[in-house]
Amino acid sequence: MSNQQILLSVIFVPTLGAFLLPILERVSAGLRNWSALVFVLVSVAGSSLLAPLALKGQAVSVSHALPLGFNFVFTADGLAVFMALVSSFISAVIVLYSFGYISHYENQNEYYLMVVLFLGSMMGLVFSGNLIFLYLFWEITAITSWRLIGFFREKNDVFRADKSFLVTAFGALSMLLGFLMIYQQSGSFDLSVIKETFRFNPLSNTAIFLILIGIFSKSATLPFHTWLPDAGVAPSPVTALLHAAVLVKIGVYVFARLFVVNLSLGEFWHVAVPVIAGASALVSAGAALIDTNLKRIIAYSTISQIGFIFLGLAIGNEMAVAGGLLYILMHGLAKGGLFLCAGIIEQNTKTKDITKMGGLIATMPVTAIAFLFCAFSVMGIPPFGGFFSKFMVIVGTLQAGHVWIALIFILGAFLTILYLFRAFNMIFLGELKTPGVREGSAVMVFSVALLAFLSLAGGIFIRYPNEFVGLVLQPIFGMVR
Amino acid sequence: MDNILLLPILVPAVSGILMLLIRKTRGIKEIATFFVATANLLIAVMLFRKELDFTLPWAGFGMEFSLRLYHFSSFILLATGFFGFLIALYCTTFMREKGALNQFYSYLLISIALVNGAVLSDNLVLMLFFWEGLLVTLFGMIFIGGKDSFRTATKAFIIVGISDLCMMVGIGITAHLAGTLTISKINLPVDALGSVAFVLLMIGAISKAGAMPFHSWIPDAAKDAPLPFMAFLPAALEKLLGIYFLARISLDMFKLDASSWLSPLLMIIGCITILLAVMMALIQKDYKKLLSYHAISQVGYMILGIGTCVPVGIVGGLFHMINHALYKCCLFLSGGSVEKQAGTTDLEKLGGLGIKMPVTFGCFIVAAASISGVPPFNGFFSKELIYDGALERGWIFYAMAVAGSFFTAASFLKLGHAAFLGKINDANKSVKEASWPMLIPMVMIASLCVLFGLYNALPLNNLIQPILGEHRLEGHNFSGMPTNAFLVIMTVLVLAAALLNHYLGFKKQGSGIKAVDHIHYAPVLHPIYDRAEKRFFDPFDIGMRVAGWAAKMIWYVDRVIDWLYDGFSVGMTYALSIGIRRAHTGNYSVYIIWSLVGLMVIIFLAVR
Repeated sequence: MSNQQILLSVIFVPTLGAFLLPILERVSAGLRNWSALVFVLVSVAGSSLLAPLALKGQAVSVSHALPLGFNFVFTADGLAVFMALVSSFISAVIVLYSFGYISHYENQNEYYLMVVLFLGSMMGLVFSGNLIFLYLFWEITAITSWRLIGFFREKNDVFRADKSFLVTAFGALSMLLGFLMIYQQSGSFDLSVIKETFRFNPLSNTAIFLILIGIFSKSATLPFHTWLPDAGVAPSPVTALLHAAVLVKIGVYVFARLFVVNLSLGEFWHVAVPVIAGASALVSAGAALIDTNLKRIIAYSTISQIGFIFLGLAIGNEMAVAGGLLYILMHGLAKGGLFLCAGIIEQNTKTKDITKMGGLIATMPVTAIAFLFCAFSVMGIPPFGGFFSKFMVIVGTLQAGHVWIALIFILGAFLTILYLFRAFNMIFLGELKTPGVREGSAVMVFSVALLAFLSLAGGIFIRYPNEFVGLVLQPIFGMVR
Repeated sequence: MDNILLLPILVPAVSGILMLLIRKTRGIKEIATFFVATANLLIAVMLFRKELDFTLPWAGFGMEFSLRLYHFSSFILLATGFFGFLIALYCTTFMREKGALNQFYSYLLISIALVNGAVLSDNLVLMLFFWEGLLVTLFGMIFIGGKDSFRTATKAFIIVGISDLCMMVGIGITAHLAGTLTISKINLPVDALGSVAFVLLMIGAISKAGAMPFHSWIPDAAKDAPLPFMAFLPAALEKLLGIYFLARISLDMFKLDASSWLSPLLMIIGCITILLAVMMALIQKDYKKLLSYHAISQVGYMILGIGTCVPVGIVGGLFHMINHALYKCCLFLSGGSVEKQAGTTDLEKLGGLGIKMPVTFGCFIVAAASISGVPPFNGFFSKELIYDGALERGWIFYAMAVAGSFFTAASFLKLGHAAFLGKINDANKSVKEASWPMLIPMVMIASLCVLFGLYNALPLNNLIQPILGEHRLEGHNFSGMPTNAFLVIMTVLVLAAALLNHYLGFKKQGSGIKAVDHIHYAPVLHPIYDRAEKRFFDPFDIGMRVAGWAAKMIWYVDRVIDWLYDGFSVGMTYALSIGIRRAHTGNYSVYIIWSLVGLMVIIFLAVR
């Protein structure tokens, strides 16, 4: 198989395969489930096959010219492969977990179809070298997330799903306007053409502003963030998917793709974006300390951590960007793990209210340890992986001379320790308030244990992820090191 | 052969992790831990006084796995190995009956590995990695202490974790200013940004050492955590580590001198810690809790000594670090044998144990005399050096340090009297002396206390003074008897005053435990003590309250933003659509009028 074919199969096996799943269910539900996992694993395998080439600086590219600059380009460079690997791997774990979780509910066909399509369109978005295709896949993810958030079909769930769709679609339209402004100046949607056009004359601030609205609404950053905690009504593997693997990472990825790799931001944005991200990190961390719904707490935590990723990427020096990318990986693993733990807890105790829980460490020890490990990673405690990403982002910020911004974020990090411990203590320690609760099913516990273990291993063997990130950044920052 | 430096990290860490995997092996874990701790001590002895460097590629971006063994680090390595060995020996009998606690051994070994790693690191990130990693074992060790000890564990984790984050920022600024993360290459002036970095790193260091205002988890842990934990981490290893790093930043990494405002800052923190903590120690009625307040108070002397920025003070501070680790460890271990043999550490229920447990009592006397600064024990000499430095920088610092000494002596007279002398309780009639694996560590430490006092040239010339180096010592040698006769006379007077105070208090109240009640219930102090006992001044609780309020405010901000979506925008849309719906009356003539009006507006605009 040529590299081009591999690249196409990474994208189209899950996007097209998703529609086969309801048909496969006619044969057997097991076949459908395993096929879903296989489709996602194709993306994992394909991305890892592409990685060696991409990291050597030889980007694999598939293109087909269309009139008016609407060419059809998929490019697998280091950044795209990195993001694809992280997303598809975490998605694979989540799909595995779903075998246990979703088996209790109706509409499983729809569930698997949407999840696999979601991941497939994420792959499409990640590898797109053309803004229009990027937008197209962006909107497919909006539709699939809308269906998945409203999966349980209660009145309130549907309302929340609509809210998330409306906010992100509003952002996407504003971003589309920004893309059109780019098109006006460059005459193309092809990113490589755009990069050449804007090498010497900067992009107008209006266009940047419009695109940032899109990015912030997708990545749930202040003031477009409130749909994300509301989306906690979705099934837990879906929230894990939204938070850790695909949805909110889209905005971050597009930010990196546009403003780190291809376009340069003006001095103003190097301060403005971190300030917005800092406000977002603080506000959501404070809210997480007050809320009592487990999934909302973790969702606020995501908003807060996304702030750190934006900080790293927007500061724009090598250390900070490397930290930001590493953060995508570490946060993905840990936050995925937290949500999957929350799924086990919520399914077994039949509540999401942490004030009604307690003492669960006795009945579900593995989940408790996994939760604690993932929480340590999110807090940034060594030897867990989150330590390095947080550290590098902060050091990068300080290297850029923004001491005050770093202090705002450290305040956010304080609050992170507080709210995660508050949640852990209220759920797992103290008096047992929900007797008769059992540990989750084997496949679910395995999934969370795997993510927790990887959070730990990612820190102890930090050398390998950091070498990967270093190679991703080499073409961007040159051979400075 | 330089990779031998990995041994003190890998040997305890790997065996600790392996032991975590084994579950029910009563007796085997204790023995295995003892052997690993012995091996670690032997490695430390072997490495002592060697100079080695070792570097591996690690996280990239300037973050290397680089270790550096030199005089100072090999000294701390040896001390860590020594205390690890003693605690492991002590645990072989102490912990045996406490079944569920067997994770303790793993945490003990992993902590040793992390401390060794932090001390050896020559890269700031690597150091922070090991340093902050201690949070996890700290949490684990307190957590396993009992059903409700998780509250204390969380408290400790939050306090130390937050100060470690401050340190993270400090390291970032330092790396930015110095352009490198390699510790041995950093030598910065304390200018505006440099002093910010120094303060942030200092917060990390003194918080690890347990100084105020980062102390309040230690007395709580004394109640909740297993006792060897107290003797091991807060009394010995964390002090060594925190003061080690404080010395590194103020001696090597920053050009700190007496003219900088940071020097008085350190001295003030030191003095406040000494006085407030010792005042609290004075009124405690529990053996372990009383000791835990002293573990806080004594850090003040070390910080004061290093903060003076004069050679005699720094030597005194560092000497006090190792002395304190010795006698405080011994005191906690004596508390452990009392707890194990008599079943309680409540001073009200103890008394007269001196005859029943003569060896423990003997060790207690030596250690208590050391901590109170009685000549010729080790604490006396280090305190004299610190006094000398403090007096050079201002009489007020000296006065506060000496006042601290008075209360220290008074509280140990009370403790010794209440626990070991006086009338024996009926319940304690059958108490026996502790078994030898518990006694050996105490006796060893107590004899070191005597040795380091009588022959103080041994530690000072071999361990402490080389840390400063010839050029900083300016030709001084601080071993032997103190040179300043005034200081010695003052110390003796203060000790005599403490003895007199105890005697008078005892005469008045009729029992040892109440001998300081006249201070406890003194007019001004009484209400303050009452509030302090109710945790009114606990910085952690105050901080949590502030964080709670701030979060509440933020929560409302968040709700307002949410309302913009759920309330405002929905309302606006309805209002707009109602307005437009009203316009659609279905009346044909109204539509025509609308169209004509519109046409006229267009014509008007076009013509104008």
